[in-house]
Amino acid sequence: MAESLTSRPTLAAADAQQAHAHIDADTNTGISNTKLGMWLFLASECLLFGGLITTYLLYKHPLEGPTPHEIFDIPFTSTSSFVLLMSSLTMVLAVSAIERGEHQRMRVWIGATAALGATFIAGQIYEFTVFVREGLGFTTSRFSSAFYTLTGFHGIHVTIGIIMLVSLVLLSLRGKIPEHRAETVEIVGLYWHFVDVVWVVIFAVVYLIPS
Amino acid sequence: MTVTSHDNVPTTVLDGAVKDYSRDKVYVMTALFLAVLTIIEVFTYAAPDFPVWADELLVPVLMILMAVKFFTIVYVFMHLKFDKPILTKLFYMGLVLAVLVYIAMLSTFRIWHNGQHG
Repeated sequence: MAESLTSRPTLAAADAQQAHAHIDADTNTGISNTKLGMWLFLASECLLFGGLITTYLLYKHPLEGPTPHEIFDIPFTSTSSFVLLMSSLTMVLAVSAIERGEHQRMRVWIGATAALGATFIAGQIYEFTVFVREGLGFTTSRFSSAFYTLTGFHGIHVTIGIIMLVSLVLLSLRGKIPEHRAETVEIVGLYWHFVDVVWVVIFAVVYLIPS
Repeated sequence: MTVTSHDNVPTTVLDGAVKDYSRDKVYVMTALFLAVLTIIEVFTYAAPDFPVWADELLVPVLMILMAVKFFTIVYVFMHLKFDKPILTKLFYMGLVLAVLVYIAMLSTFRIWHNGQHG
């Protein structure tokens, strides 16, 4: 019995032999429906955030109220961006850990990812509070509406991501994420990386490119 | 031989199976690369007169840095590099469609013209 088990191909063997990295699902595409669904969702999210970024570009010159150049605190936002960027590293290390069967390490990396995400959200709340105190409310100008809608939508996405990460840790603690379901962690990771990718665009287009 | 999702491999057997095939170093190096690009981005703000991106070169430089960061994350962290090609096609379909639609929209609103809009 033991011999028949060890003679089965391991994930490493499958990984090494195939052009792609993951176990084949029993579907026409060889990709699980859940993963395919997540990628379709992310493709559609490109359209959502594309629309919000385009609206911001159209309205970034305020006719009244503070201008972006007057209120943005680039060093602060750069730090937040760096925090979110590093959360992508911790996320991918969590996926790597569960693929190796290291549950405890996976939980540590996911916890770190959630903590970094929460730090980013705390920074965004602080930033919004400062902007409002400086006279930039949601309805102050077309610029402010477009800015808060874009960055707010992104913040909501990050918050949903944090909830998913915490849920993963709880599921793992209850033993509901064995290695052969490592794809669950990978799918949550895809969402998290996408949120990071969107911020890469927002940070450059909204904060760094001068008006 | 291919492992499929219907192969009922016990988790005790899988435990540690990919230990020797780790990509963790690649991920850490990628994160360092992204961090360096972010530092350069912030440097464009701190030193706008730096010769490499002075004047009209600033926006193209920032767009290139943004694109490199974007595709690095998508390819390495999101595993497109290691995954089935259909996922790459699927994602690019959404991305290209979004870019084309919004370029058309920005053109309709004359964003490329100088001065205030609408």
